[in-house]
Amino acid sequence: MSASTVLEIERELAALRDASSAPGQAPNQRTSVMTHLAWVPGEWEDAAEKTLAGLAEQHPSRTILLFPRPDEDDELEMDASVQCFAFGDSAVCAEVIRVRLCGERARHPASVVVPLLIADLPVFVRWRGMPEFGDVFDEIVDVVDRLIVDSTEWPDGKLEHGYRELAQRFDRTVVSDIAWERTERWRRELAGAWPFGAREISVTATRAQALLIAGWLRSRLGHEVGVEHEPADVLTSVYVDGKAIEAPPGEPPPPSELLSDQLERFTRDPVYESAVRAAGE
Amino acid sequence: MTETLENPLVEGLKVRRTPDPCVFVIFGASGDLTQRKLFPALYSLAYRRLLPEKFAVVGVARTEETDEAFRDRMESAVREHARDPFRDDVWQGLADGMRYVATEFDNDEGEEQLSRCLAQLDEERGTGRNRLYYFAVPPSAIGTIVNELGPRRTTPGWVRLVIEKPFGHDLESARDLTKRLQEYFAEEEIFRIDHYLGKETVQNMLALRFSNGIFEPIWNRQFIDHVQITVSETIGIENRAGYYEQAGAIRDIFQNHLLQLLALTAMEPPIDFTSEQVRNEKVKVLRSLHTPGPKSVVRGQYGRGYVEGEEVLAYREEERVAADSLTDTFVAAKLYVDNWRWADTPFYVRMGKRLARRETTIAIQFKSAPHPPFEEASTEGLKPNVLVVHVQPDEGVSLAIGAKVPGAGMTIRNVHMDFLYGGAFRTGLPEAYERLILDAMLGEQTLFTRTDEVEEQWSLVDAIIAAWRRDRPAFPNYAAGTWGPVSAEELIQRDGRAWRRN
Repeated sequence: MSASTVLEIERELAALRDASSAPGQAPNQRTSVMTHLAWVPGEWEDAAEKTLAGLAEQHPSRTILLFPRPDEDDELEMDASVQCFAFGDSAVCAEVIRVRLCGERARHPASVVVPLLIADLPVFVRWRGMPEFGDVFDEIVDVVDRLIVDSTEWPDGKLEHGYRELAQRFDRTVVSDIAWERTERWRRELAGAWPFGAREISVTATRAQALLIAGWLRSRLGHEVGVEHEPADVLTSVYVDGKAIEAPPGEPPPPSELLSDQLERFTRDPVYESAVRAAGE
Repeated sequence: MTETLENPLVEGLKVRRTPDPCVFVIFGASGDLTQRKLFPALYSLAYRRLLPEKFAVVGVARTEETDEAFRDRMESAVREHARDPFRDDVWQGLADGMRYVATEFDNDEGEEQLSRCLAQLDEERGTGRNRLYYFAVPPSAIGTIVNELGPRRTTPGWVRLVIEKPFGHDLESARDLTKRLQEYFAEEEIFRIDHYLGKETVQNMLALRFSNGIFEPIWNRQFIDHVQITVSETIGIENRAGYYEQAGAIRDIFQNHLLQLLALTAMEPPIDFTSEQVRNEKVKVLRSLHTPGPKSVVRGQYGRGYVEGEEVLAYREEERVAADSLTDTFVAAKLYVDNWRWADTPFYVRMGKRLARRETTIAIQFKSAPHPPFEEASTEGLKPNVLVVHVQPDEGVSLAIGAKVPGAGMTIRNVHMDFLYGGAFRTGLPEAYERLILDAMLGEQTLFTRTDEVEEQWSLVDAIIAAWRRDRPAFPNYAAGTWGPVSAEELIQRDGRAWRRN
C-alpha cells in the first residue's frame, strides 16, 4: 500500500504493527533508539537495501530510505513496512519507510523528513555516493545529528573538492566517513611504528583511503607528507619513507558492522576532522 | 637531559580492551560448568576477537583423557551450547592452544606435569607466564590446589584465581579459605565469581538508577513502600544432591545472588565506577542489614507436585537425598536495611527450587497516590506503581502505571510499559560468563565479590541458620510447582501486603 501524506504513512505503520502480532497476543513492541535516514540515488539502491538488511536486527529503529528522482514528474510516494523479530513471547518491530521524491519534491526533502522523525531520539543519515553539497544536502545536514558518508564511493578526481566541502559542514553536524574507519586498523599499526620522519608515503588502497592517511599524518605530525597511490579495492599496504608497515592482524570488518559502529557514536572526532582538512589541501 | 616525545599518532585511536597474553587453566575440566558455560563463553570471546592473540587453555581434572579427546569433547560442547554459529577457523584458533592434564589435585607429580605443560605453552605460544586459574571444583579442593599452586607461582607474569561459589560454607570456613589464599595471593589476584553480577540486567540496575534523573530522587523510604526480590526456579536439584544437601537454598542462592541483588538495589551512588568504590557501597548495604528475627524468615522444602503439567518427586525422594532430610529448598525473608535511605522499608525476598515459574525479578513497589480525586469504584483493582527489573528469563524493565480505560466515565486500570532489553539493542546479549572471564583476564574486579562482602554475607546467613537449629520444621511443607509454603504468604500478609503474582 502506498501513501502520499505523512498522516497516511503514520496510520499505515500503526496498522501494520497491529496486524503483525498474533490474534489474542500482546501487541508487538516498538523499541526505538534512533531514526536512520538513507539518501539513496538510483545507482545505490541495491547496495543500500543490502546494508539495511544487515543493520535492522542490530538497531531497531525507524529507517527512512529517501530515493531522489528529480527527473520524474512531480510526486511524493511513500510506503511503509514493518520488520518484526521474535523476542521471547512477543516480537519487536522496526519500521522501514521508503520515500520516492519525484520532480520538485526532491529539492526540499527536509519538509518530508522532519514530520517522520521519531521525537527526541538521534537522527543519523547515511549519504550514498557523492553529495552535490548544495541546498538539498544542506537541508538534510541541518536536521540530522550525524552525517555518515563513504568517500570510497566518490569519484577519484573529485575527492579533494569533496573533502573541502565536507570540512565546511563540521560545525553544523557530526560527520564520519566509512573510508576513514576502514583505515583504523592500519593507523593503529602506523602509531605502533612511530617514530618516523614520514616525508613520503606509498599506499595501496582506494584513493580516498590514501588521501585520508596522508591527511592524518600531515595533521598529526605537522609537516608536509607526500603520497604515492597505488589503486586497489581494499587497503593492502602502506610504506613510510620506503619502509613497509606490518599488516594489521585479522580480517577487516564487514560494511554493516562499520556502519553499526558509527551509529553508536555521537560526538565529533577532532582527529578525523583535521585529517579531512589536510586531505583536502 | 633527554625529552620523551609523546606519540602524536595515538590520539583518537579507539582503546581496545584486549587482555595480555595468558594461559587459562581450568581445574575441574571434566565437569558440567566447563562444558556448559566456560568453553561456550571462551568460544564466543574468540568469535568476537576479544581474546588475546597469544592464548592457551589447559584443562586439569582427575579423569584420564588425551588432549585430542578433550578437544573433541569441548568442540561438541561449543556446538551445543555456544550462542554463536560454529566456525571452524574460530574453533581451530582455540583448539590449537588446548592441552589436558590428568591428575589428582594433591599429587605433586601431577602438579609438576602441569608446570611443565604451562612452561611449554609459554615457549610455543608466547603466553608470557601470565596465568588465569579457574577453580571449577568443590570448595574442599580449593585449599589443596592453592597449596600446590602457591609455591609454584611464576614470576614475572601475573596470576589470577577465579573461584566459583560457594566460597566456604559459613563465616569461619570462608575466613579460613581467604587465609589460605592470602598466604600466596593478594586480594587483587582473587576473583570470587557470582555470575549474577555478569548479567546485563543486573548491571543495568546501576545504569537505571544512576544515569536517570527521575528514579534516584524517589528511590527511598519516602516514596517506596517496599521491595520484593524473587529468585525462583522450576528445576529440582539436578543430580547435585551431594552439594545441595549441605547447602540448601540459603547457601545456594540467598548467601550470594540474592544478597548481591539486594545490595545493588539499595546501595548509595558510588563516586565512580571503579571496583573499589562500587564494592565499598555494596558492603555498606550488607553491613546495614540487620539480622531478621525467627518470625521474619521462612524455610520450606518441596513435596511431590506438578511442574508444567508433569508430576515430579518430592525433595526427599530425589536420588542421594536423605529420607528425613531437613535441607531447605525454599527461603523467604523480610529484611531491613538500617540506614537513612531505607529505615522501616521492608525488603521481602524469596527464592527456591521447584516453584511455579522460573524468574528472577526485583520489584520496587511505590506508595499509592496520596489522594486520588476519583470515585472509589473507578479505581477498583488499581495497584500502586511498580517498577520491575527482570533479570531472567526475559531481561528488561517494566513500569506499571494507572491509565484511563477509553470510553465514557472514569475507569482506571493498570497498564504495563515494557522495555525488553534485547528489543532495543539486538546485538545479542553476552552470557554472564563471557563478560566475567574477560574482566578477570583484564584484572577488572568490579563485578567480583570482595572478601569483606563475602564475610558480611556469611555472618547474616550464620545468624539465620543458628536460629534454625533450635526447631525441627515439618518438611515437606509446599507442593512442587507452587509458590512455596503457606507461611511465606503469612510472612508478607501480616504486614498487609502480598507477594506479586508473576
